[in-house]
Amino acid sequence: MNTRFDRRTLLKGGAVALTGIAAPSIVRGQAPATIKIGILQPVTGALAMDGEFGRTGAELAIADVNAAGGIKSLGGAKLEMVFGDARSNPEAGVQEVERMQGEGVVAIVGGFASPICLAASQAASRYDLPYLVDVGVSDQIISRGLKNTFRFAPGFGICTKSAIENLVRINEAAGKATKTVALVHEDGLFGSGLAKLMATELPKHGFEIVETIAIPTPSRDLSNVVLRLRSLNPDLVIPSTYYGETVLLARTMQQQRVRPKAVYSVLNGAASNMRFVKEFPEAADKIMDCNHWHDPRNPKNAELQKRVEAAGKIWNYNTPLNYSSVRLLADAIERAGAADRAKIIAALGSSTFAEHLMPYGPTRFENGQNMGAAPVSTQVQDGQIKVVFPEAFADAKPVFPVRG
Amino acid sequence: MTRHTALWIALLLAAIAVAPLLTASNAALNFIVFVLIIALAAQGWNLLGGVAGQSSFGHAAFFGTGAYVSALLQLRFGVNAWAGLAAGIAMGALVGWVIGFLSFRAGLRGSYFALVTLAFAEVLRILANAMGFTGGAAGLLLKLDLGFANLQFSSRAQFLWLALGFVALGLIISLRIAATRFGAQLVAVRENEDAAKALGVDVLSVKLRAIAISGAMTAAAGVLYLQYFLYIDAQIAYGVWISVEALLAAMVGGRGLVLGPIIGAFTLHGLGEATKAFAGRVPGIDLMVYGGVLVLVVAFAPGGVLGLLAKLRPKSRRSGETA
Repeated sequence: MNTRFDRRTLLKGGAVALTGIAAPSIVRGQAPATIKIGILQPVTGALAMDGEFGRTGAELAIADVNAAGGIKSLGGAKLEMVFGDARSNPEAGVQEVERMQGEGVVAIVGGFASPICLAASQAASRYDLPYLVDVGVSDQIISRGLKNTFRFAPGFGICTKSAIENLVRINEAAGKATKTVALVHEDGLFGSGLAKLMATELPKHGFEIVETIAIPTPSRDLSNVVLRLRSLNPDLVIPSTYYGETVLLARTMQQQRVRPKAVYSVLNGAASNMRFVKEFPEAADKIMDCNHWHDPRNPKNAELQKRVEAAGKIWNYNTPLNYSSVRLLADAIERAGAADRAKIIAALGSSTFAEHLMPYGPTRFENGQNMGAAPVSTQVQDGQIKVVFPEAFADAKPVFPVRG
Repeated sequence: MTRHTALWIALLLAAIAVAPLLTASNAALNFIVFVLIIALAAQGWNLLGGVAGQSSFGHAAFFGTGAYVSALLQLRFGVNAWAGLAAGIAMGALVGWVIGFLSFRAGLRGSYFALVTLAFAEVLRILANAMGFTGGAAGLLLKLDLGFANLQFSSRAQFLWLALGFVALGLIISLRIAATRFGAQLVAVRENEDAAKALGVDVLSVKLRAIAISGAMTAAAGVLYLQYFLYIDAQIAYGVWISVEALLAAMVGGRGLVLGPIIGAFTLHGLGEATKAFAGRVPGIDLMVYGGVLVLVVAFAPGGVLGLLAKLRPKSRRSGETA
């Protein structure tokens, strides 16, 4: 079995490589070739839900680019998706990058989780294969000096800075309604880092941290955590946890009638996830989050959201983020005028792409990071996730504090 | 060991060694490298769990120690990667000895020993996750700096040969042990600890030596993982996944048999990969096959793939048992 698989991959790779070498002469004259782009998402394992959101966005973007006539500078060449399942772990991500390389993709978009993005972009860098990170927030991703790696979305540093600034501004606008804070964080990469940062930054703005509680992922029961919150009675609860734990925390707080003045989460797995809002509307009501979210003032989002929901899928930020990333890549290929990796990397680096769906402004990469990228603060209001801050993108006013 | 077995082993290693010459597909080579790393970790498990009969559920403790020690030495102290490899292996042996000393001296056997190893691995995982020194939850990232001196190779083939070298070394050690008095003592401890003690075997010392060698082997796999993927965090290095991989590869291949871990690792992952190639579009189908193989092995071939093969052969030609 193994040799058959190898030979086939080899043949495919060879054929694609030959097409690539001959591309200028073939592509201009005759029928447009297809351009393969790799879409890497974890669609099995612990991150499967997020992987699906991302894949949906990438699929829609590829369909739209093709429907609009493909890559015009390459004679209307169509994009073809080569999908890889990263299975929620970095080894599988690397394996899929190798396979995609074998199939002759010109670039890869996705990864979702930081460890997957770190390993996969590194594997791609061996072939100077452009790698566009969709979500992975770890700042190590872009601080390694890899020339092939770009991130359209904001990283951890930008997100936490904005989260704290936004919170301070919202709180001041409400006449400093909240003072005491309890941090509940998952004990992994983003939760611990965030809690540490909050614990040093928030006191500078007049907040008082009354407790920092680390919880493991997955957690099956948070009764004790909520009991602790009840006894501390903080004004503000800041959870930075993944989907399951946030839902559990919100529901346990609802059951035990623990009602802080506000719940302000950061890069939360659930607080800006429509599934949570739909399944537990009461527990989710008025929860705020500082996270990736689409630009609600851009009418294209409503249109895309309708298409996603018409297909029976749930809308989440990964979808417009991956949609935008693929469009950004298509724009770079268009401007590169060739399915050539070095040229695509150069075109990405000089990108000023502005027709995306995110609240970012025009794209401007600096060492691979899109400097225009920033998260927004959202709030669940009337069963919808609304952007409440910054005002330039907001489609609702923050309800803060929720209770007096 | 018979000549027959030696021939099979040599053939298998040679077949893997020439793979890079037969295919230019890095996807295939990358797959083999990963399976070899798993096989090496499983060889460590097999020595303790298979040959000596002390089933561990916490080989992640060794895997992670190897990876973390090497990464920390390189990142925090600027130590050379090869020295990091040696130190990682040595620390794996030491951690093995310490865990062994604490649990074997307390007389823990069977499922109690398995549980306590799981607990050690989890403690190490939580520590690595919580401490700033180990990079906390952000993990440790080795700088991509290709070159022989840094134990990073630009070609997948070179890394494959390195990993294969380690697996071959593991095989040689396992075969040597099987042929010595120490090997016989291990089997004696597995079959009946009290009887072994009555015959004058120093059970504690035998078990400690076994767990130290086992820890060193699995730690070597951890260092190779680090050098190959260049990124570890607590979940990767000390996660339960690697304990399970090490244990399953050895069990599916043939518990206690020298070739078991290699056969098991290639069977499990090879079938998964083959399924992906055939039914590529359905996500998770390879994982279902993986699960299916496990169920079948547990139900119908408790001796693993090699045990099954031995059963199928005519009695007169049976010769594979080397443990």
